[in-house]
Amino acid sequence: MTLSPPADSKLVPRLGIKLDNISKRYGDHVVLDDVSLHVEPGTVTALIGPSGAGKSTFLRCINLLERPDAGTIRVAGHTIEPGKAVNGRDLAALRSTVGMVFQSFNLFPHMTALKNVSFPQQRVLGRSKEEADARSMQLLERVGLKEKAGQHPGRCSGGQQQRIAIARALALDPSIMLFDEPTSALDPEVGLEVLSVMRELAADGMTMVVVTHEMQFARDVSDTLVVMADCKIIEQGDPKAIMSDPAEARTRRFLRAVLER
Amino acid sequence: MSWLTAWAGYLPQMMSGLGVSLMIAAVSIVAGYPLGLVLSLMVRAKNLAARTLGLALVEVGRGAPALVILYLFYYGLPKFGIAFESITAACLALIWNAAAYSSEIIRAGIQSVPRGQLEASNALGLSQRDTFFRITMPQGMRSAIPGLMGVAIQMFQGTSLAYGIAVPELMKTAYNIGSQDFNYLQIFTLAGLCYAVISMPATWITVFFEKRMARHA
Repeated sequence: MTLSPPADSKLVPRLGIKLDNISKRYGDHVVLDDVSLHVEPGTVTALIGPSGAGKSTFLRCINLLERPDAGTIRVAGHTIEPGKAVNGRDLAALRSTVGMVFQSFNLFPHMTALKNVSFPQQRVLGRSKEEADARSMQLLERVGLKEKAGQHPGRCSGGQQQRIAIARALALDPSIMLFDEPTSALDPEVGLEVLSVMRELAADGMTMVVVTHEMQFARDVSDTLVVMADCKIIEQGDPKAIMSDPAEARTRRFLRAVLER
Repeated sequence: MSWLTAWAGYLPQMMSGLGVSLMIAAVSIVAGYPLGLVLSLMVRAKNLAARTLGLALVEVGRGAPALVILYLFYYGLPKFGIAFESITAACLALIWNAAAYSSEIIRAGIQSVPRGQLEASNALGLSQRDTFFRITMPQGMRSAIPGLMGVAIQMFQGTSLAYGIAVPELMKTAYNIGSQDFNYLQIFTLAGLCYAVISMPATWITVFFEKRMARHA
């Protein structure tokens, strides 16, 4: 079972992410202070840290849902200098290679599950309806929700909605997937369904950046653990090493708080 | 019993008046709501001229009583060589009224679409056009429907203002009948019932839609 793009897309070189010196502030309030992160293609990076650390904002800089004030973004072969004007075509090209999954799912409530997954393929990739629907059904089946194709999101549980959202993102054959606390709005049991889909995706070699509070997922699945606090990356490296013996006192404090839960 | 026989006698005339009222309401809604959509877009526009014009039309349309606008169209504009028939003037004034009120409801509906919807659409790489017409609008209009239905009922009742410029609608018809035998109580009660017969079921339908939407929210 494979969740990654169809075989022919393996010809496309797999590309990583290089974010350098990213800074972002809202008025006087600094959110990201000169943060740099490199993600190798085919790896999973887990972004953890206390709330307000800037994790989500940083993640959202990768596909420019947030526009940083300074820094350089190199994603899947596209380079964007946020300080300068970004033209719409570059932005669309970047976004088409980066899939994103949100904490609140953000499925389109007025469309069926199938339409949610097919509509972007038709409009962004120019696929025919038949082509798009075929691909959608394939992906819905793989996330275990083929029977929900004709249902509207309101008729699906949170876990099902999130898996449909993952299918929707994968349908555009992204080379990178971003996850913004994908299980935070779900109860633990339902969260597991979503995590298992993400595990499969990681096993298939998808490049993933995951903002999460799921420490077990971060330890077992991620190749790199990145700890953010106070608008900076304070520590990064092998997840098991950091979790068993963090170098920073701030990391230690955070991990103790989460693991004691 | 005598009231009922009297009413039966008035009914044919009253029905023709009601027909005129319904026609004016239909015209002001059918033309006013699309205009309201345009106004709601103008009010949100980046272009300063479009925004100012949009705001002016909405604020005057909502700020001035419909009767004042009606009089301005019918009695005021001929001063500039623009003269309308009374029914045209009534329709134009009420179209403006409907557009101004509906634009605010549509704007609120569009603003009620969660930010996450736009973010998802942007993250998927959908164009601004698709985002607006395929994601924002369908959801915004859906939540605007009960409000728009409410305004439609008000528009129907507001057609009675056309009485002020002698349009032969329901109210004017009732007045004419009443002035023949001075039985105003009888005829205006019938007029009130005629308005209610349309408005009340319409209100029930609106409430039904509101409940349905709340359930699917």
